[in-house]
Amino acid sequence: MTQQNMPYFEDVELGDEIGPLQKVAADDQVVGFCQLWGNPMPNRFTDAAIAAKANLPGPILPGVMSMALMSQLLTQWGGPGALKDLDLVFRQPVPHDQPLNIAATVTDTRQENGENLVECDILMTGAAGERYVGGTALLSLPSKSQ
Amino acid sequence: MVMELEYDRSLYGKEHEAGPFEVTKEMIQAFSQSIGETGAVFNDESAAQTAGYRGVVAPPTLCTLYVRRVELPDINLNFGKTRFHAGQRVQSKAPIVAGDFLTASSHLKEVYPKTGRSGTMVFIVWETTFRNQDGVVVADVQESYAARE
Repeated sequence: MTQQNMPYFEDVELGDEIGPLQKVAADDQVVGFCQLWGNPMPNRFTDAAIAAKANLPGPILPGVMSMALMSQLLTQWGGPGALKDLDLVFRQPVPHDQPLNIAATVTDTRQENGENLVECDILMTGAAGERYVGGTALLSLPSKSQ
Repeated sequence: MVMELEYDRSLYGKEHEAGPFEVTKEMIQAFSQSIGETGAVFNDESAAQTAGYRGVVAPPTLCTLYVRRVELPDINLNFGKTRFHAGQRVQSKAPIVAGDFLTASSHLKEVYPKTGRSGTMVFIVWETTFRNQDGVVVADVQESYAARE
């Protein structure tokens, strides 16, 4: 049985939209993330002056934090153990305290080695349509017949 | 024209190891809090156990926090003035839960040039395999860095 509102493989079709998930990464969340990460602070992720020296418009999110935010869309949709592969390209710096839109589109469904696989394109965009982070994901879903 | 890159090719096949790193419940909860993850199994021990896990479950990219704890050598690439984190890939193989001890093993996967509208960049890809205390591979992580002229 899937958890509440989580899809079965048979429910998913090519072109299905997943999300969007809207997020805002606040300054204190980025600081908390950097503390866990062990990145010495201040740094370009937490400090405006250091970010400016690196020719950045302001402090940015670490790529690994953007990835963590994007994986939430997929675990919320498919369940905590569904995500098998997340492959991302960091296209532009991701700002703090700005709306981030995370959405995915199903590009393939297939059964392989006993697994029910769903492949999708995933994208994090900004309020003005900035394409911050993009990539692909592969999930394994339960089947109604299992 | 094929671009001839100079870098330390002797690094291929060498593993660089670190750990073990203890994954604590508190760390998973702090990670979840920092990204606004409210899923019950990622935050609550009893919810995770009810769902069949041994303990609070690590969100699938938590292991990326440990990648930079592996000391990696400079590949001495003779290209580019600036480098940036260009991409990341996480392949989850098995759940990581509170109480696990992870070891990391990293190697140089590939170095390749790519030319686009903004010129040529060289990508350096390191791959890190994480194993738990039972020797089970729980995740593979690839980090790509781009060197730009």
